[in-house]
Amino acid sequence: MKLEVRNLSFSFGETKVLKDITFEVCEGESIGLMGPNGSGKTTLLRCLTRYLPAEAKALLVDMKPLHTMTDRELARTFAVVPQSTATDFPFTAYDVVMMGRIPHMSGRMGGESRKDEEMVRSAFERTGSWHLAARHFSELSGGERQRVIIARALAQEPKALLLDEPTVYLDISGQFEMMDLIRRLNKEEGITIIAVLHDINMAARYSDRIALLSEGRLEAIGPPEEVLTQETIQSVYGINVAVRRDPFSHAVYVMPSVRRAVASRHGTRVHILCGGGTGGPVMKVLAEQGYAVSAGVVNILDSDYENANDLRVPVVAEVPFSQISQESHAENMRMIDECAAVIVSPFPVGPGNFRNLEAAKEALARGMRVLAIRPTNSPEIDFVGGKANALIKELISHGAIEVKNADEIIHHLSPVRV
Amino acid sequence: MNDRKGTGINGLMALACVGIALVAFTSGYYAGAVLSAGQTVTIVDDYGRQIKLTGVPDRIVSIAPTPTEILFAIGAGDQVIGVDDYSDYPNEANNLTKVGNALELNVEAIVGLQPDLVVTGDLVPKALEQVEKRGIPYMVLAARTLSDVIKDIRLMGVLTGHAEDANTLADSLEVRIQAVTNLTLAPTVVRPKVYIEYYEYYTFGPGSFGDDMLRAAGGVNVAGNTSSEYPVVGPEFVVAADPDIMVYTIGPMTTVDPSDFGKRPGWENITAVVDDAIYSIDDDLVSRYGPRVVDGLEQLAAILHPELFS
Amino acid sequence: MTAWSSWQRSCIRNYSAEERNMSDDKVRRVSGSEDAERLGNARKKRALYIMALLALLVTVSFISILTGTIGPIGPGKPEKISFGDAFDALLGHGGSDSDYLVAIFWEIRIPRVILGGLIGASLACAGAAMQAVFRNPMADPFIIGVSSGAALGAASAGLIGFTVVVGDFTAPMFAFFTALVTVFVVYRMGLVRGKMYVETLLLSGVAVAAFLGALVSFLIYFAREDYHELIPWLLGALTDAQWSYVAIIAIPAIVGSFIIFLYGRELNALLLGEETAHNLGANPESLKKLMLGVAALMTAGAVAFAGIIGFVGLIVPHMMRLLFGADHRMLVPASTLFGASFLIFADSLARTVVPGEELPVGIITALCGGPFFLYLLRRSRTGGGSA
Repeated sequence: MKLEVRNLSFSFGETKVLKDITFEVCEGESIGLMGPNGSGKTTLLRCLTRYLPAEAKALLVDMKPLHTMTDRELARTFAVVPQSTATDFPFTAYDVVMMGRIPHMSGRMGGESRKDEEMVRSAFERTGSWHLAARHFSELSGGERQRVIIARALAQEPKALLLDEPTVYLDISGQFEMMDLIRRLNKEEGITIIAVLHDINMAARYSDRIALLSEGRLEAIGPPEEVLTQETIQSVYGINVAVRRDPFSHAVYVMPSVRRAVASRHGTRVHILCGGGTGGPVMKVLAEQGYAVSAGVVNILDSDYENANDLRVPVVAEVPFSQISQESHAENMRMIDECAAVIVSPFPVGPGNFRNLEAAKEALARGMRVLAIRPTNSPEIDFVGGKANALIKELISHGAIEVKNADEIIHHLSPVRV
Repeated sequence: MNDRKGTGINGLMALACVGIALVAFTSGYYAGAVLSAGQTVTIVDDYGRQIKLTGVPDRIVSIAPTPTEILFAIGAGDQVIGVDDYSDYPNEANNLTKVGNALELNVEAIVGLQPDLVVTGDLVPKALEQVEKRGIPYMVLAARTLSDVIKDIRLMGVLTGHAEDANTLADSLEVRIQAVTNLTLAPTVVRPKVYIEYYEYYTFGPGSFGDDMLRAAGGVNVAGNTSSEYPVVGPEFVVAADPDIMVYTIGPMTTVDPSDFGKRPGWENITAVVDDAIYSIDDDLVSRYGPRVVDGLEQLAAILHPELFS
Repeated sequence: MTAWSSWQRSCIRNYSAEERNMSDDKVRRVSGSEDAERLGNARKKRALYIMALLALLVTVSFISILTGTIGPIGPGKPEKISFGDAFDALLGHGGSDSDYLVAIFWEIRIPRVILGGLIGASLACAGAAMQAVFRNPMADPFIIGVSSGAALGAASAGLIGFTVVVGDFTAPMFAFFTALVTVFVVYRMGLVRGKMYVETLLLSGVAVAAFLGALVSFLIYFAREDYHELIPWLLGALTDAQWSYVAIIAIPAIVGSFIIFLYGRELNALLLGEETAHNLGANPESLKKLMLGVAALMTAGAVAFAGIIGFVGLIVPHMMRLLFGADHRMLVPASTLFGASFLIFADSLARTVVPGEELPVGIITALCGGPFFLYLLRRSRTGGGSA
């Protein structure tokens, strides 16, 4: 099936919500509709389902204008999976999926035909939810409910599946489960998918193409790598991101990026190599003393990342569970170059963040002041078979200053003040 | 010695007279006693309540049609200063201040009139307690039978200082009642079955005044063995009872005319319908338990026993 | 233990663990005749339950015909008749002195039982439709102002001098007319740019009902003693039942419930939400308007002739939902049939509870309906194992 959207505009009264949108969706594609809140994504979907009355010439399916279809025909073309479905009424999952057959059931007097029963059963099985059929729909968990709703959508035998932020109310495992199911239906059964997704990374991972809307206009449409660039995201969402490749799925991945350093009272720049939460107290003390602090490289699940954000400390971030990438390391060194001193907090060193220690070594080699915090009675921090301890010893022997705690640092740094 | 004895006996007799007079004066019972200003009397009303009165009440408020009619009939109309909305008989009552009705009493209006007595019929609104709190006594007239009505008339006569007029009236009413019942209650008289209603299917049951009137008028109330004083029956009941005569009262609630009865489901073959023995009577004559009930009785008797009354 | 109704439970068999695992694989179409057979049984089960409810209705009707103030089932006032006499009268045997019995049965009781059945059916069926349209199990057929509109019509009819009297159709027609006008006004209030918003409709209904209720109270106060006329009507009474009423009510009752039944599937979809219903091709706008119109007609007809009989329209669909689930293809016919039985039963009680007298049936429906429903609710909570 081929969906054509031609110069689609829509207004609620005076407010223009969709402005002149044009694009096509081909059979078997998986399109992610994205954009900030209020950009018109849901409105676009509602125009497709004719829940909102769009102009006659704007929408065509297989060359047939949408407005000429009957309600039943339309329900056999598009099937919708909304954000959430709650009901007070005691319908079973089976009842709910059987409702998907309404556009196929002809004749008021007849009940379900054999074909209807087969299709319902098949829809259940393809979504792995047949064991839920007998249960009350309202008693199912969020993820189970969404699966049943997808089954209902499948029972409609649609040409395309329209999903409106289907994972919003699901926990993280539920989200992946659902998106995997949708991708399977797309790839294995060839069902066209048009999904409004709020999670940029999820959209990048699961869509063949992304349509990016901004204030009612179609900003960009194309494969994720082409659409999700730092500039585009900056202009549409107004946030600064760093674009990476997800190490596991090789899909494009965005992360909030480094912020500009915040000017401080005496402007002395200090960089902290940290992780595991050890950098927090140091950042705090230094920031209070008026130093301009930056930190890195920490992964975004690390508490030091949070600490840095809380204190408005610019931080070089990395994808969790992966090695410090070349880009991150380069970023780290760039920040260090701007600094007057580098501090190494007693962070646990593993293969992933060993490069932080190497960064310290490089800094020392470039003639910078390096201070290493080595508290007495600290827990073991070396998880790379002794290399970390060895490197730290090497740093100290080459001129890095050993301190016991953050206060000693202040003491040592004061002559550095400009 | 003879003079002294004579004087003694005379003295005793004089004392006795004074004593009897005193007893008569101060007795609390209305039978034969006469009130005059300055006395405190305790009377017992139809609910068994004791009401203390100091002297003849001449600022009476009546909050039901029955006491109004009685008061005017016994000549005490001048002593009535306020009546309820429904008191429309006699005509003079219409000119008096209205104080609401038993269902919605205007307590302020009553109190404002500064009455010395409030009289009500069988409906005793809770609001009267407020009136009582302000020191205004109230009494209840609740006649259930014709003889109760006579009693009430005499009572009000004593109360208002019109005992003579009241008794005269009561006596004449008794005579008229007797004249009717002598004929209607004679053992040889065939008593017709009567169905009486004051609104669609609303009839008089055992213990109600209407039931007593029917009995006195020489009829058999088909609803006489139901369970409440004012039952609401259904079409089936009347068909099964097959009354010989039907009577409906014409009053503010009435919406029927004789031809409607035959149209009720299943009623075409009831004796009263077939014989076209459907009569009406003024509602006031059976629902206001004052002197006019005797008019009502006479009319009813004439309806039920045309052969006895020409 | 699921809270699935038993007839559904029997349709779907439990799958073994390995079968469930298999469903994670590629697409598989059902070809087994076993499941199809079981699901076919669902339809048969449904028909069976309907038959049972129909049998209940016939039984209750029969007993009710034999029930009344003169018996044979009943207090026996002013006289008690025997079953033999009753059957003779029903079948037309017996001499001319039992003519009055024939009149009682054929002109009073039988039309009354039938009228009660038709009205109970109308109210319950309309109630089920209203609960679907408003997506609210607390809705009843009077929610859009039918009852207050009819009350105003009946009250004004009495005041202007039309009589609420047997055989005269003026007052019922007046009440019917004002009921429909009220519904139309409320409906227009609920329309925003051509779309019906049920929340707005609901609130408009409440507001209009309150306003009209105040008007009716004012009329009653103004009319003073005349208000006595209205009380049995306001409480709901079948006292004036006769064949002509039956003939008039039968059409909206039967045709109306049939129409509502036909749209059972779409009503199911409507319960899930308007956008969902739209996306399933059920066209909620025209559905709502149709259901509202039909329900209003059925209810207005019922109220015009029998006054405001409450609780039937609210409680019967509830009870049926507890027993048979929310599927309207079962719920609608079940409510219709049970609503009829319920009202006929309530009317039998109304005619016999106080010997010789007839209570307004609305009192009985309220007294019966409430506690019985509470009992059913408790049973479903504690025994059915929900959540």
